[in-house]
Formats: sequence, structure tokens, C-alpha cells
Amino acid sequence: MPTVVVMDVSLSMTRPVSVEGSEEYQRKHLAAHGLTMLFEHMATNYKLEFTALVVFSSLWELMVPFTRDYNTLQEALSNMDDYDKTCLESALLGVCNIVQQEWGAAIPCQVVLVTDGCLGIGRGSLRHSLATHSQRSESNRFPLPFPFPSKLYVMCMANLEELQSTDSLDCLERLIDLNNGEGQIFTIDGPLCLKNVQSMFGKLIDLAYTPFHAVLKCGHLTSDVQVFPRPEPFIIDEEIDPIPKAINTDLEIVGFVDIADISSPPVLSRHLVLPIALNREGDEVGPGITDDTEDENSANQIAGKIPNFCVLLHGSLKVEGMVALVQLGPEWYGMLYSQADSKKKSNLMMSLFEPGPEPLPWLGKMAQLGPISDAKENPYGEDDNKSPFPLQPKNKRSYAQNVTVWIKPSGLQTDVQKILRNARKLPEKTQTFYKELNRLRKAALAFGFLELLKGVADMLERECTLLPDTAHPDAAFQLSHAAQQLKVASTGASEYAAYDHNIAPLQTDFSSSSTERM
Amino acid sequence: MSVSFRKKMKIFSESHKTVFVVDHCPYMAESCRQHVEFDMLVKNRTQGIIPLAPISKSLWTCSVESSMEYCRIMYDIFPFKKLVNFIVSDSGAHVLNSWTQEDQNLQELMAALAAVGPPNPRADPECCSILHGLVAAVEALCKITEYQHEARTTLMENAERVGNRGRIICITNAKSDSHVRMLEDYVQETIHEHNKLAANSDHLMQIQKCELVLIHTYPVGEDSLVSDRPKKEEEQHANTSANYDVELLHHKEAHVDFLKSGDNHMGGNSREGTFKETVTLKWCTPRTNSVELHYCTGAYRISPVDVNSRPSSCLTNFLLNGRSVLLEQPRKSGSKVISHMLSSHGGEIFLHVLSSSRSILEDPPSISEGCGGRVTDYRITDFGEFMRENRLTPFLEPRYKIDGSLEIPLERAKDQLEKHTRYWPMIISQTTIFNMQAVVPLASVIVKEAMTDEDVLNCQKTIYNLVDMERKNDPLPISTVGTRGKGPKRDEQYRIMWNELETLVRAHINNSDKHQRVLECLMACRSKPPEEEERKKRGRKREDKEDKSEKLGKDYESDKPWQESERLKGLLDREKEELAEAEVIKDSPDSPEPPNKKPLITMDEMPTVEKAKGPMSLLSLWSNRINTANSRKHQEFIGRLNSVNNKAELYQHLKEENGMEATENGKAGRQ
Repeated sequence: MPTVVVMDVSLSMTRPVSVEGSEEYQRKHLAAHGLTMLFEHMATNYKLEFTALVVFSSLWELMVPFTRDYNTLQEALSNMDDYDKTCLESALLGVCNIVQQEWGAAIPCQVVLVTDGCLGIGRGSLRHSLATHSQRSESNRFPLPFPFPSKLYVMCMANLEELQSTDSLDCLERLIDLNNGEGQIFTIDGPLCLKNVQSMFGKLIDLAYTPFHAVLKCGHLTSDVQVFPRPEPFIIDEEIDPIPKAINTDLEIVGFVDIADISSPPVLSRHLVLPIALNREGDEVGPGITDDTEDENSANQIAGKIPNFCVLLHGSLKVEGMVALVQLGPEWYGMLYSQADSKKKSNLMMSLFEPGPEPLPWLGKMAQLGPISDAKENPYGEDDNKSPFPLQPKNKRSYAQNVTVWIKPSGLQTDVQKILRNARKLPEKTQTFYKELNRLRKAALAFGFLELLKGVADMLERECTLLPDTAHPDAAFQLSHAAQQLKVASTGASEYAAYDHNIAPLQTDFSSSSTERM
Repeated sequence: MSVSFRKKMKIFSESHKTVFVVDHCPYMAESCRQHVEFDMLVKNRTQGIIPLAPISKSLWTCSVESSMEYCRIMYDIFPFKKLVNFIVSDSGAHVLNSWTQEDQNLQELMAALAAVGPPNPRADPECCSILHGLVAAVEALCKITEYQHEARTTLMENAERVGNRGRIICITNAKSDSHVRMLEDYVQETIHEHNKLAANSDHLMQIQKCELVLIHTYPVGEDSLVSDRPKKEEEQHANTSANYDVELLHHKEAHVDFLKSGDNHMGGNSREGTFKETVTLKWCTPRTNSVELHYCTGAYRISPVDVNSRPSSCLTNFLLNGRSVLLEQPRKSGSKVISHMLSSHGGEIFLHVLSSSRSILEDPPSISEGCGGRVTDYRITDFGEFMRENRLTPFLEPRYKIDGSLEIPLERAKDQLEKHTRYWPMIISQTTIFNMQAVVPLASVIVKEAMTDEDVLNCQKTIYNLVDMERKNDPLPISTVGTRGKGPKRDEQYRIMWNELETLVRAHINNSDKHQRVLECLMACRSKPPEEEERKKRGRKREDKEDKSEKLGKDYESDKPWQESERLKGLLDREKEELAEAEVIKDSPDSPEPPNKKPLITMDEMPTVEKAKGPMSLLSLWSNRINTANSRKHQEFIGRLNSVNNKAELYQHLKEENGMEATENGKAGRQ
């Protein structure tokens, strides 16, 4: 889940902060201090996160495009100049563009706005933006809610009292509301100092940047893993079940399925599953873009040589072309598979299905999947040439069941012509003739379109008169029989008008010699 | 501590319940005055023949056709949780089906409509009213559906969260604006009354919201096709040639990314006079195959707009035959991107939404760079075999356990994985028995929950066979990875093999008595370690003991049998390592180090199940084992055979000299 840090570099950020001790700090220094802490945390614990840095005043600028190089981000923090006034709207618009260009509109992003709570004056100030919010047209829409799933975290270089003394806090709260409530405002507890800034950023880290550690299990085979990006809780149905569901920290494999059977299922999100070696303190000695400290390298080397279940599983999934189904919680499942990034590199990935008892119609209810050894005979066949999947639904869909639709005249004409074509090939086509005739008859009865039955009856009678001398004698019998039956049905009264009744071919002396039988 | 992303979704929205109320009064028997030519004569046979007069549909036929088309599309796209109740109104209300899922299909509705038949033009119009149908519709909306019932039961005390909303689609002939207002008021009043009734009932639910869609039908070419199709959009799939467009309807979520991106000036357009939005996607030449796993963010059922047209049925049949079609979407920049895939699963066609944006997981560290990435001798093929054995299959019929409770197939699958992994070394150099073809017959059945007598017999045969091999001094596939020279001596090899086999069998002895019998056979047959070696070990034992107590406290808190086996595994490694010690060169760059360097207890210290603690002499331990085994079942002959081996060896020797095939025991036979 990429992060955009949006840093306020307006003049108000240079306001000094009275700190005990000799050095004089400005608010921007506190901000830089907090961000340094965030970047350091990410560099060690959240290495794969892409982060971009935007600075803004009345204008905005993308200082660092999305990167995993936290040194670059850190350097940029020390190279920031001071500019004029705060103009939040244009900066947020900038964030919209940057994110959409890079990631599209489907990938969730976290926006960390760092500001002092002075929201600008006049045109372009947040107050002005909010005041004019209701008069916007589609062309100058306010950038919130962001068009992508998002969280907006506002890190205020100010404490609550200060923000409450003006209407800043109200404005910021409205900002979060405009983002459909997705986000949170952080303020400094107590006096403005490095320590309290750290504690504020600590809260952000706890909320949004703690790595997700889990245990991957397949019976007794286990591995400690980090799941990246961390899976976020999910709300299944706002009304019935508004409590967000989080995935278990025990990821339990329940069995295996061929890739062809799972066939590109829809997923909520995908994640890397990275094996980690937990040392005594619970810190990971793990994967990721390696840092250059020697200790870590040697620790990594040792960890690399200890057999790990993830590597075994990945290798076999890749070779066999299979996925492992994994239980993530009550009625929540996902799949593990090998994902190749390039010819050389591949990885163990986990995709999350939508929570529920039956995330994939073609697999059926997950709880009903059991081991093949419980089946009377191997559903995959002795030579591995069959599969119990996909499951067939009870009812066929309209495009698979030869429905009758006459809304456009062409639909009706096609059906009548089919009957006519077969009528001219009687008695060879007796079976198809009656099949089509009965199909038309049923639809006409259901639609109350009795006039059609009369019309087709007339048409068949005319065909009868047009039969050439060479025609088989049975043809005439069948045509007049069919015509008469349709006429009876068209009165809508007799038992012959019953929907389930089918017109059967007339049994004639010729029909026994006919090649086709019903 | 957590952040959640919500997806706006409500199961019980207005679209959960739709009631069709179709007017069946005499007026509806009138012609719609639109003629249909049905006698389209085939060319060159038509001379002198006057085609039959065109016919026209009644208002009733038009209404029924369009409502059936609505149902067709809805059942295609939302076969579950979106329900239709069909009511026909004349001198009374005729309710043609119920909310139950079984009643939700076209065949049922068509049959019911045929039974009703067209309106009787000679009936007394004064007796007929659409109001009967509207009252019945409100009644129907108050009735609880299976889904609502299930949700309420699951939610227990939060049952009130289950919503009850619905939609009434009424097709009638409205006489005037005031007539329309009268109908609206009437529905509102009826809802009000029925909500009072529902408040005091367990089987009825109050209506929270009801959408009333009135469709006015009258002759003169007015096509009464229902145009209000919420939540659906259409899409054109232009086959390479432009005149093969197939318009498909599906859930609007399928284009959510596209619509949000604001990048819709190229393909998106709102069709005049309808609420549908159309996105044009192009059939894309690169083929895809079923073994490719696409990153797909959604899959939605589709329905062709013109289901029976040639292009539609061409496309649907192509897909139903198991092929997939990739679709590409034009972008602002003029470039194209593969954005969707059409594919059928079990006779249902889905539009898969493929992710086309940059991946946030790009350039991840390769698995070979992480933990365990440097190990090169994983049992990849064996685990592949394991996965195939642990594939899943649906069990649609409920099964019951012996105690009568419902058996959940998925729990059975988990149980099986537990059993199959009780002893499962991950790397080749950590195991001997799984590198031996000769052990397969035993290893494949011992993990079973229950064994047949034949299985037991096969296990015993396997054990006798191994005894045989040992007597013949056949070499074993003991790993010499990381060692130089010959590795452990032959008798040492067999000791390691027997220990490992015992570990495997012991992990399963609690499964059944038959498993127990296999262990008894094994214990009776396996070679007795020579006296000399025992003494040698006693010395080692003391130093290991300290490590053991330390380890036990930390890692082996519970006493599951598999953990015992884990310990044994380590033990074996330790022994292997010790034996090789003198010759091992550890820093050979290509070979992984021996897997476990921690000092561990030796095999002989393993406490038996019965007597867990306290010092015990090896001799008494051994005789205990033998005694228990013998007391349960007399295997004397084999035991004796095992100890008095002169005769047998001679016989074997002869056999070998005669060129008889030696037992295969290498990894060679298994790839």
C-alpha cells in the first residue's frame, strides 16, 4: 500500500518552538524529525513499501517519486526550502494525480499530511475550499474523497489546545469526513518537543506501519512469515456485520488445488509471504532489500541455510502448477501460489478471497471441500486426467439453455424459419421439426401469444399444399398433424393447450420405415 | 491498531426483492399495433405465393416478454440473493411463485404464466383491478426470504440489522396522472398497514423502503421494454470485424477502476434514453491458457443483451467450450491495456477484471534470497506428490460421524494434513527412509487413519524386506552431502535407517491397533545394536543430557508425538554428523552445512510412552520393548530368525550368486 508524504513548507512551519535547552527548533524541524523516525522504521520493518514525498505551499512539488530508497527520502528532508502560504487543495489535487498516474484507481494508498495546522488564508486556503465545497461542479471537484481507496493521516505539528483555539481542528475534521471518514488526525500531546513528536509518529507507525507477522502451517510443517503488504481488516456487509474482520495470524493450509481448477479467481488483495527467522527478542531477521550492516548479512546467511517450509512449498507449487488453499479466519480463505517476477526471481504469494462461505462459485462451499482419500474413487482419475471442478450450478444460464426471446422481431423470425426449414426436410428431420415446434409452442403459451400458434399452423398447412410430387408421403401427414395440434393449442382451452404437453409425431404406416424415431 | 478498507455493500438492499405486478385485465388483451412479419419465405421458392398476414402481440404479451427478459438477465447476472416474485392481477391476485431459491428460474415462471394464459377480452373490466396485485406485492415484500431468515438466525440478538427493502415493478395502463398518484398513495397506505401487522409477527418483516416502478403500457408502437435496470451496464466486445459486436450486461463494479480514473472519454458513453453506460472493449489476440494465474480483482457474471443473435451465441459457445478471451481497453494516451478476461466456469460465463496498474509488489526479493533460500536439496518432488495426495474435492452430500454429528469435509482435510506431516523431513539429506523405494509401501499406508489387514501385511513385508537387505549388507542412500569419503559404516547406516523408520511408525501408533502392530513388528525385527556401541554411547549421553534439559524447557513444551519425532530427526542428524566428523569439510561453498548443529540427545534416551522420566538402563529399556511387543503378539519366529542369522545369510548368499535381483533401495527408482 503505497504512501505519499505531503509536507507543508509554508512560512508558518518556520515558527520557532521554545524548547528547554540551548538549540532553537522550528516546527519544520520537528516535522523532519518525525518523518525521519517514520522512514527509519520503514527502512527496517517495512522495506517494500513505496513512498513518495510531496512538498507544498501555494504550489506543490513532487520531491521524491515513489521509491523504496529511504536514504533518498531522508536526504530530501534536509533539502527543503521555505515558501509562502499554505494551499492544501492544490496539494491534494497533486496527490490525486501522482497516485493515479502511478497506481491507477484501485490500489489503496496512505496519505500522510504533515502540517502545523495553519491552513492558509484567502483563496486556496482550506477554509475557502470548504466554504465553496457545495458549489463545485464536476470539473473543479474537490480532490476528496480520493478516487482511490485511501487513508488520510494528518500529522499536526501543534497540540490540541492550539488547534482548538482557532477553527483548524474543525476544518481538518471536515477534511477527514470528506474522505468518507477514512483517516485520522494526530496532534502532539503536551509541549512541542522532539520526544512528543516521536510519540505522535509512534502512534502512526503502530496504526499503519506495523509489519504483519504470521505462522504459515501445513499440518506440522510450519514457518514464521511476514505478509506484505499487511492484510487490512475487511467489512463484509456494512449493515449486517459492520465490524471489520481481520485475518488470523495462523495461516492454515487446508489442501491443494490445480491452477487450472482455481482458474484466475477474483481476489481482494495479494501479498508476498516472506519467511522470517525470529530471534529471541522477536525481531525479524528477514528478507527484503538488504541493508549493508554486516551483522544482518551474516544473520541472513545463517537463516538462508536453515531449511524453511516456505521455500519447499514454493518450489513444489511452482513445479506442480498448483495452489494451496489457506484458511484466514472463520469463513475466510485465500490461496498461496508461486508468482514469477522475472525468469529468475519468483516468490510465494498469498491472495485473499472475499470473506464468506463460498468465495468462488466454481469451487462450491469451502467447508464442503474434503480430502480425495474420502471419495469412493479418486475424482482426479487414476491417470490424473479428470477433475471434480468446476462445479456446475443447479440452473443453466440463459445463454446455455436455448431460451426463447422474441422481443426483437428477428428472434421470432429465426425461430419460425427453423421450423420451416425442418418442415421442408420431412420426414428426415421429424425429430428436430417437432423439437423446434414444441419450443415455439411453449413460449407462445407462456407469453399468451396464441395468435402466433394460429399463424404457424396456417403456414404449415400452406407448406403441405406446396409439397412437391416427389415428397415423401409422411411429410404431408406430419405437417397437417402439427398444424392441427397447434390450432387446438391456440384455443387455449383444451388439455392440448397445457404447457407441459408436447406435440408428438403422428404414428403413420410410413413412420416405421422412417429412419428417424422420436 | 488497525485500518480497514470497506467495500460499500449491502446484501439486503432494494434489489434483494423484486415484485412484478402485471395487469391481466381485459384491456391488456388489446393489440400493441406493432406488426411482426413471421412468414419470411426463403428465396427461390416463393413465386406466386402471398406471405401470410403479419400478426401483432397483445399488450399482455409485450408486458410478459419484457418482464421475462428482465428476469432472464437478472438470473444470469445475479443467480443468488436477488429474488423475483411474480404476480398477475385481474379480479384477484395470482401469485405465480415464492421467494424460495427453487422458484427462481425462467422455466417455473414460464409454466406458471402459461397456466394463467392471456387476459380474456370479454371479461368484465369492472371486476378487474391492478390494486389486487399491488396489495399482494406489499404482502410479498413483508414475507421473509430464506436469506433474510438465515441472516437473522445467524445474527441472533442483532437480528434487527437485517434489512427489508424491495422494489415493485408494476406494468399496467394508467388512465391519468391522478390515477398514477392514486396507485402510489394506495401502495404507501398498504405498506403502512402491513408494517403494523408485520410488527407483531415473527414470520413477517416490516418494509423499510420500497421502490415503486410504474410502467405505463398503451398501443401505438410503444415498446414497453423495461428500461430501469439498476446496477447493470452493458459492454460491447468488438470482434476484429466491427459488425460482430456483442453487447453484454454485467455488474457495474467490473468497470469501477475505469470509471473512477476519469479515463472514459474514449470508450464510455451513455446511450441516449437509457440508464446504461457502455464501455467498448476489444477482443485481444494474445491467447491465454488455463494454467496461467491472472491477477484478477473481480469476476462478474454476464448476460448477452441479444442472447440468441449469431454473434452472441458464437461468443458464448466459444467461451462455454472452455476457451478464454482477453479484452483490451483503450486509454487516453491512445495506448491499449488488457483489462478484462471472459471465461466460463461450470457453464457460467464471468467477466474477470484484470489488474492493469503497476504492481506495488514489483521487484520483490527472490525466495532464494530469504530464509532457507540457500538450501538446495528440498524434497520438491516428494512434496509435489504430497500435495497431489492432499488435493481437495467437493462433498456435496452431508456426511455424519459415528456419533451422529455432521462431518465437515474441510476439517477432514486438515486432519489428513496433520497425519501426513507428523514426520516429514524437508530436505533429502535429512532422511534416509524417504530416499528408499523399499520403504514406500510402508510409508504410504502408515499415515492413514485406518489400515486394512492387507496394509498391515504390506508394512510387515516391507520390514522383512529391510531385514533382508541388512543381512545382505545392501548399501543405503545415506546422504554424504557435506562429507568426504565413504560416510558412515554400513551397520551404522542401518541403525540410522531403523531409527528413522521407528520415528515414522511411532508418530502414528495412536491411530489404531493395526498401527501398533506395525510398530511391534518393527521392534521385533530391527537389528539389535551391538553391546559395544551401547557402552560407547553412555559416555556421550552425559554431556548431551545438559543440553537436553535446557532444550526441553524451551522448545518442547508439549508432548505431541510429532515433536518427539522432530527431536529424533535432530538426533539422527547429530549422529550422522558425528560419524562423519572426522572427514567433513564444512566450508565447501556449494554444499549446505549439515542441517542442525545443536547438540541433541541420542536415540537411546528416548523415554517410552509409559515411563517418561527417571534414569533407566538401556538394557532394561530394550528388554521392556521386546517384552511388550512379544507379550502382545508372538512374533517369535521372526525374532529368532533375526537373531540366528547364519542359515538365512547362507541362503541369501546363494540367491545372489544365482543372479537374483537385489532389492532396489536407491533413490534412482524414484527420480
